[in-house]
Amino acid sequence: MWRSKKSAVKKLGYGALLSIFLWAGQAWAHTPLCSCYDNGDGSITCEGGYSDGSSAAGVKMRVEQEDGVVLQEGQMNATSEFTFDKPAGAYKVVFDGGEGHRIEVSGKDILE
Amino acid sequence: MKKFVSALVCLAFLAPAAPALAHFQIIYTPEMAMKEGGKIDLALVFSHPFDAGHTMDMGEPEQFFVIRSRGENPPQKTDLLKTLKPITWTSLTNSGKAWETNYAVRGGDYIFCLVPQPYYEPEEESYIKQNTKLIVNVGGEPGAWMEPVGLPAEIVPLNKPYDRWTGNVFQGKVLLHGKPVAGAEIEIEYLNHEPLLDEKAFAKKAAVAAPQEAFALQTIFADDNGIFTFGIPKAGWWGFAALGLDPAYTYKGKKCSQDAVIWMKAVDMQ
Repeated sequence: MWRSKKSAVKKLGYGALLSIFLWAGQAWAHTPLCSCYDNGDGSITCEGGYSDGSSAAGVKMRVEQEDGVVLQEGQMNATSEFTFDKPAGAYKVVFDGGEGHRIEVSGKDILE
Repeated sequence: MKKFVSALVCLAFLAPAAPALAHFQIIYTPEMAMKEGGKIDLALVFSHPFDAGHTMDMGEPEQFFVIRSRGENPPQKTDLLKTLKPITWTSLTNSGKAWETNYAVRGGDYIFCLVPQPYYEPEEESYIKQNTKLIVNVGGEPGAWMEPVGLPAEIVPLNKPYDRWTGNVFQGKVLLHGKPVAGAEIEIEYLNHEPLLDEKAFAKKAAVAAPQEAFALQTIFADDNGIFTFGIPKAGWWGFAALGLDPAYTYKGKKCSQDAVIWMKAVDMQ
């Protein structure tokens, strides 16, 4: 009985350790990526994803003025793309995949 | 003794063939791993990359296409055959017919695939057909670089060909009609003279000097599963050509070497 309890504790311990290891591993292997392109027709398309190839579908996207005022909001579609109308003034695009997974792309860096 | 004589006779037939097999189909663009998208220039040249030697005339390719893949999105194929323009490429010893094009890329993997018109080698009285892949990436988001693209003969990389540090290994699997080729012979050459796309020529200056011919053209063999491994000794482009994968393959009634070529690039850690 004692042996089996100890064994259970051991298993739990290893499980916890494994969880930490996996979590740490995922954080490292999971860098967010977002690039935006001017489509030349008054619209901008941003492509998102992660460095391990996983999908960014559903990630929140915002188009903001430089002072943080939100101009447009949406999310990455099923193919991890977000297309919006190009604002008239200065702007930035925020890929908001949560803490540690946030990227800002300045409008002036978005080229055809 | 009888065996020894037989071996010598075989060698006599094989030896003249060896230099002729050092041809490499090149698909070149200046950078394999780009930070940002944009229009990239590409050149298709059939030459000898280590010494920038004799460049062979290429006919109009049978196929030239690109497969784009990004993350979990399904790969998309685009035919590029009609975009090719004929050019003359200058080597250190001659000029040969080649092709160029450009293509706009965004994020992910792009697998450029070339099925050339077979090249007739008069000395051999046979043809060479090098099915060639070049895989480039934009932005670091991977796609389907590890998937076969369905060429008759192809090398499927087991490492990203665009993310190798100097000192890493490069592994590939040799396939003929989708099946591994056990013991496939693979020739390896270093792209020793930089291709200058503006000049449509190889740079005259070599990056390295080979102490002896065996170093200019290295030969390795795949294992029983068609997998080969190569340790990368220097930064730059390396070409891998798996040769004669289908002994029964012919073109216009003559023997045709059905080859598979892939290119990779290594960079120094700095």
